Amino acid sequence: MQRMRFMFLAVTVALTACASVVNRATHQFTENLTTGILNEDDIDTVHDGVPAYLMLIDGIIEGDPENASTLLAGAKLYGAYAGGFVGDPVRAQRMADRAYNYARRALCVREKKLYDALQGPFDQFQTALNQADKRDIETLYGFAAAWAGRTQVNTGDWNAIADLPKLQSLLMEIAAIDPGYDNGGAYLYLGVINSIRPASLGGKPEEGKANFDKALELSQGKNQMVRVLYAQFYARLVFDKELHDKLLNEVLAADPVAPRLTLINTLAKVKAKALLESGKDYF
Amino acid sequence: MEVNIMKKYIFLALAMFVATVANAATTIKIATVAPDGTAWMREMRAGADAVKTKTSDRVEIKYYPGGVMGDEPAVMRKIKIGQLQGGALTGGELSAIDKDAQIYSLPFLFKTPEEVDKVRVDIDPLLKKSFEQVGFEVLGISGGGFAYLMSVKDIKNKDDLKAAKVWVPQGDHVAEAGFKAGGVTPISLPLADVYTSLQTGLIDTAANTPSGAIAFQWHTKIKHMVDLPLTYVVGILVVDKKVFDALSAEDQKILTDELASAFQRLEKINRDDNAQARDALQKQGVTIFKPNADEAGQWESVGAIARKQLIADGEITPDMAAALDKSLAKVRGSAK
Repeated sequence: MQRMRFMFLAVTVALTACASVVNRATHQFTENLTTGILNEDDIDTVHDGVPAYLMLIDGIIEGDPENASTLLAGAKLYGAYAGGFVGDPVRAQRMADRAYNYARRALCVREKKLYDALQGPFDQFQTALNQADKRDIETLYGFAAAWAGRTQVNTGDWNAIADLPKLQSLLMEIAAIDPGYDNGGAYLYLGVINSIRPASLGGKPEEGKANFDKALELSQGKNQMVRVLYAQFYARLVFDKELHDKLLNEVLAADPVAPRLTLINTLAKVKAKALLESGKDYF
Repeated sequence: MEVNIMKKYIFLALAMFVATVANAATTIKIATVAPDGTAWMREMRAGADAVKTKTSDRVEIKYYPGGVMGDEPAVMRKIKIGQLQGGALTGGELSAIDKDAQIYSLPFLFKTPEEVDKVRVDIDPLLKKSFEQVGFEVLGISGGGFAYLMSVKDIKNKDDLKAAKVWVPQGDHVAEAGFKAGGVTPISLPLADVYTSLQTGLIDTAANTPSGAIAFQWHTKIKHMVDLPLTYVVGILVVDKKVFDALSAEDQKILTDELASAFQRLEKINRDDNAQARDALQKQGVTIFKPNADEAGQWESVGAIARKQLIADGEITPDMAAALDKSLAKVRGSAK
């Protein structure tokens, strides 16, 4: 009996060790895959090729459903694809939802209290956020990014709009813990959120501007999507055509190639061109 | 011969000039507080696109969203000097140029959305006429929905409300009279300051539509809502009558039809939005208190006192008030 228990223990240990080797390999693979995609400069290749990897990641998650790192990688890939490559709003919503659900599962594994407070009132969420593990920036940021992506494609959903203050709090917490994480990505999202409501309705567009400036500074001006969103949200909100056109022309003139930013910058150029064109009617 | 050719050219040039003037596109610049990306802007832009296409570019509407042209007095000043030709504003905001614009905002007047729909069939045309008299053409009226009392505190009756710090929009005499009739001295602030004032505790109670409360993020502070329509919010698009009158009859019709249908679409969107927003408020932990018949009767008597006072003060014209009473009586089946 005693021996059997030991044997069981030994097998468990062996299995765990084996799983962690697989986990490490999987984690490395998804990381490399994401980097490879982000370095791509041909939009069509990514558009046509990534769905196969989305399915691959679905499969990996299927086999290891509580692996937070894989869940976050899946969330990132699905979120990026939904936001940048899917024109059909219904499909974009479906994929952004999947990204959000993967990220939420990762949150459930690693930050259970925060996960439980997601559905509750704002102040309960705030309390749970204060208790979250400050070292766990990967989960907090990965979840915030997927959440922001889902909100962006669900603008008609009042539950999503009602959750915006929670998302904003989470992003502010992330910015406080590690401002430079993902090239200041938290500031980019905050810039957008603070540039939705005009000052006359109680919004704080000047905070939005400060957030965008910070995101530019932290990404050393290399992430062109910052300029695009700066123009699209802040400059249009305050009706500053000069700033709008200046930012977008800078995007068009910039070299898109930068580590892990090439794909985003290539997309930013396409978007900048469209915004400059529609700006003629807007202003 | 040469003179003849010259004459011909001069004539041609003149003809071209005349033709250009006759076809000159009219640009109607309209300011609004609605931010871009909202249903209001989406539908008003769709209306503008249809007008442009159907008038073969003769009439173009340009919007200035998000209050970039300033508040209502600033918008009206700009219309006067020709910098703007119109505005899409709330009934409350427009009361500065036409008092009867706030007819639908009278406190505790309507009980159901259906009542409003029926009354508006009678009153909207009168409102349009009333705006014409002050130099504006109404191109669209749309309901933004009922505003309800919302509070950090649990408000169940008049005494609870008396103890609350209640916000009213700056310059909104109707709301002020309503609360004063209920024995409350409200705190008047610009809309822009409400969220911060809820946070600092300067105020603890404010009225809004469910979707408005969420869009302005008041729901992070608000904990309770009284489920009794306080006022009915409308958005009205008006343009300078001189500009409208200068258009051809054909273009006037296209402009009127297309914007009216955009505002019609908004009617349904706003209703759906408010229903969803109400659910969302509950999910965010806001409790909705439904007064019983007795309590509702008490609130309604406050409304009646306020309405009397507003008419006595000249805030609503007696003619409009009488037309409203008649229409409401007809709708409620008590017309004699």
